[in-house]
Amino acid sequence: MVEGGGGRGEGGDKARDEFFSEAQELIDGLGRDLLGLDEALKKGEPEAELINDVFRAVHTLKGLSGLFGATRMAGLSHELEDVLDDLRLGRIELTSGVLDLLFQAVSLYGRLLSAETGAGSEPAQDVEQMLLALGQMSQRRRGGGAGVVSQYELDPGLLGVLTEYEEHRLRTNIQQGLNLYRIRVRFSLATIDSALDDLKAKARPHGEIITYLPTGSGADIDTIELEVLIASRATLEMLRTAIAGPNVAIEGVRRRSGPSAPPAVAATTPPPGEPRPATAESFASTPSVSLTGAPPARETSSFRAPEEGEEGRAGHAPSIVPVASGRSAGPGAAGPAAGKELSLRSVTQTVRVDIRKLDRLMTIVGELAIVRTAMANLTDRVRGRATDARELAIELARLSRTFERHLAQMQSGILEVRMVPLGQAFDKLARVVRQISREHGRDVNLVVTGAETEIDKLIVEELSDPLMHMIRNAIDHGIEPKDERLRVGKPPVGTIALNAFQKGNHVVIEVEDDGRGMDPRALLAAAVRRGVVTADESKDLTAREVLALVFMPGFTTKEVATDLSGRGVGLDVVRTNIGKLGGIVDIASDIGIGTKMTITLPITLAIINVLLVEIGARLFAVPLANVEEAIALDETQVRTIESREVLTVRGASLPICRLARLFGLAPAARERSRAFVVIAQVGNRRLGFVVDELVGQQDIVIKPLGKSLRTVRGFAGATELGDQRVALVIDVAALIEEVLMPGETRFLAAAEGGRA
Amino acid sequence: MSPLARPKSEKRAVRRAGEAGRRVEYLSFVLAGEMYAVQIAHVAEILRPPPITEVPRAPSTVLGVISVRGKLVTVVDLRRRFRLPEASFDRKTRVLLADVGTGEQIGLLVDEVQQVWRLAAQEIEQSNVLGGEQPAHIAGIGRPSGGAAILILLDLRPILEST
Amino acid sequence: MLVRRVLVVEDSTSARAFVRAVLESPEFAGPQGGCEVVEASSGFDAMRLLPRGPWDLIVTDINMTDINGLELIRFIRKSEHHRGTPLVIISSLRAEQDVERGLALGADAYLPKPFTPEQLRGACARLLVGAREAAGPSEPPAGGP
Repeated sequence: MVEGGGGRGEGGDKARDEFFSEAQELIDGLGRDLLGLDEALKKGEPEAELINDVFRAVHTLKGLSGLFGATRMAGLSHELEDVLDDLRLGRIELTSGVLDLLFQAVSLYGRLLSAETGAGSEPAQDVEQMLLALGQMSQRRRGGGAGVVSQYELDPGLLGVLTEYEEHRLRTNIQQGLNLYRIRVRFSLATIDSALDDLKAKARPHGEIITYLPTGSGADIDTIELEVLIASRATLEMLRTAIAGPNVAIEGVRRRSGPSAPPAVAATTPPPGEPRPATAESFASTPSVSLTGAPPARETSSFRAPEEGEEGRAGHAPSIVPVASGRSAGPGAAGPAAGKELSLRSVTQTVRVDIRKLDRLMTIVGELAIVRTAMANLTDRVRGRATDARELAIELARLSRTFERHLAQMQSGILEVRMVPLGQAFDKLARVVRQISREHGRDVNLVVTGAETEIDKLIVEELSDPLMHMIRNAIDHGIEPKDERLRVGKPPVGTIALNAFQKGNHVVIEVEDDGRGMDPRALLAAAVRRGVVTADESKDLTAREVLALVFMPGFTTKEVATDLSGRGVGLDVVRTNIGKLGGIVDIASDIGIGTKMTITLPITLAIINVLLVEIGARLFAVPLANVEEAIALDETQVRTIESREVLTVRGASLPICRLARLFGLAPAARERSRAFVVIAQVGNRRLGFVVDELVGQQDIVIKPLGKSLRTVRGFAGATELGDQRVALVIDVAALIEEVLMPGETRFLAAAEGGRA
Repeated sequence: MSPLARPKSEKRAVRRAGEAGRRVEYLSFVLAGEMYAVQIAHVAEILRPPPITEVPRAPSTVLGVISVRGKLVTVVDLRRRFRLPEASFDRKTRVLLADVGTGEQIGLLVDEVQQVWRLAAQEIEQSNVLGGEQPAHIAGIGRPSGGAAILILLDLRPILEST
Repeated sequence: MLVRRVLVVEDSTSARAFVRAVLESPEFAGPQGGCEVVEASSGFDAMRLLPRGPWDLIVTDINMTDINGLELIRFIRKSEHHRGTPLVIISSLRAEQDVERGLALGADAYLPKPFTPEQLRGACARLLVGAREAAGPSEPPAGGP
């Protein structure tokens, strides 16, 4: 395999970025297509088009990775392409075992692309094993001859311009007894795209389009004449009715009568005569080979061909056991490409944008231009003759308001462009669910609703991994094995429901399973045993707090349920990551019935409306989305209950936290006679933050703090306030958790070595 | 030893650079009276310190964050990092934007930035010669020929990664 | 200063970007001048752009949906204006039959994927020189820029 120049510097970094972007899209598309194939396989539906799509995607990936020097990807693509070509040309049958292998290959692609962008390490060993498995599967053989095609009155040059694949489809359709038709069309080059889509839409339900042949002399530069070859079971009348049009003429392709014309190519053609309805066997030169996918055997640790036979020659049907799960000993190491903690993030930072969103933005820019002109006029008038200052002031105020309005529209318009449907993350999860459920021999159905709910692209990216953890947890610990489910009267197939919807300024994502649920008593016992809580503290915890223990670092429910992955589930990581996005995770469970985890997230990261406050003579920002109200602090209403300060507001109790103290900030120089309480809320938890002053409300662009400050808790980011001053943005969710769940904080602090 | 001694002329150093083999360029600066240097390839920018915003509960070596053309940068006080006595800002204080390819630039507060030295291999002494327990961030000693200057060469990676 | 116009027909965005970057780079430009690359993302796109010739070189992939590269080559070789234009096939080695057909239809050369920038430059340079020697005065573009 020749390595390309890499395009590094040579082809330009722009081309290379384009490569990453395109490769990521192709890989995502591959995942979706494979899921589609899975469905089609289950329902026994035809898959030819999907297989061809997958082939083309891999073919393109191969070309790209070769050009840009991604040798491993190119090598993987090469082998994969062989297998897919065999699949689409009917030399191999698509079984679920083969499909499994394809799924794993797509995972490998993701990891290889990560390695190319420097975000991960190269999974060299896994690639080697995959190449071996693919190599054994491939049946590279020349197809049969052209005999069948010559039986029709087709343009003799036709074969010369069909690609090998198109020829195969033509032959297959003929052998299956379909009729051939020619559709002659004339399109104007200006509208050809929509006219073509139109034609395809009309034709597709009736048959398969084999190819498009440009006819005509090309002398007329405005129109293009095509002959579309289509195979269909419909009659000519039916087709004529379906695909009517001014520039459309349909005719059937006649079969040559009498003994068919001699086959053009030698040895391996079917005998002359009527074309038989064909299976793959009748035109391939050797019997086709079908592969069986054995149920995943957990003991084996690599791909291997069975001892009995060799692959290849006629008569043998080699069965290859693709091993989906693997070495169960040792933490986390499952079979190649499966089971490792893969990240589902995209490698690129690009967003596909609906062009209508951009059109709207352009319109707003136009409005702003008008405002600018008006302002220029106003400026002239001010500079010019003496005019009525009051009149000018009124006009200026009006203009300013118009400007603000358009600016706000522009802002939300741009934010909208950043929004992508959650379905992006959900699609990838569907793949993971399939993989995990096969690994553990569980049958799990993933039901997704609300995939069209939109959220900022950056949040979607950060969500993929936490969601994967949660689902893995649900499958590992939640869903019971089939016989156990039947015993308790549940359907044999477990269900995981993924639901998303918008609620005000937030997006809510629910992950719910109908598994065995969590037993608070067993959880508590395990927690005490592992030293996560002491026996005394355990008595004080509410049911909800007990369930929330699963989010503690180092807490594994290994002793509670049979843990198949051999290690803790890492839900503490999930909570931390969601916290970084300004969100919160809640958990509810009913033993025997199921578990539901709820993630609440702000819709967008980028621009938020905040309340600026002063604490210890410094400015901080509190996201207004989390602010219920702000009131003056009446110290007489503050009591201390169990070392926590509580404020009585309108008869109700509100825990409060003095931020100056929490942050260790020296109080301002002059004596504070008054203070304020900002009542914050996330989910259904409330906390009052005591601050020195309320400064004002503002829209800010929030920027993340660097990795260097990742250990600092309580800040969601920072913003520049103008003239280079920076205000830290308070992470309300994190502070609420810190203050209201003191048990946890103590343990976390202990874990960090006393730095709290 | 006067840490502020300079070679007779920069021009001579440059001329010699052409004769000798490969040379690495170092930027030297002063910190609590000592001369340190880092590879200039790792310095993205040199700034007059903008207003530094303190970050509550951050590690003690972190002075705070600054905004550089809209981007947030964490600023580390090298004096605290190397356990040197504290000092106050003066008009020579600078912030070096260090970038070693970890994906994040870090600001380093220094007393005074001096000059660029082109050191050849023979002018650099590896750190193990100093004997004893060597902190990871010291890469060696630079002795540019033609002067009495001694530069403590810093390896920025451990500093940036541990922050 | 002679600018050579190259039509690249290929359905992958980044592959087109790669070819463009190589052919438009100053390294490829000789003392005679450099190349201007026009990108077509499909057979249809190519047919839309062909009238905007003349073209000094056409680079095309074969395996494209709808109108495949072979059909495009036949169309080009049958047309009056473009039948003499040098034509390179870029394709993957596996589709030997497709490449054979392409050459039979009148392509001048084929470059198997993946190819290095040097290989691309080599193939194109040979064909571009030949064109300059064979062609007469160039015809004005038919459809505008």
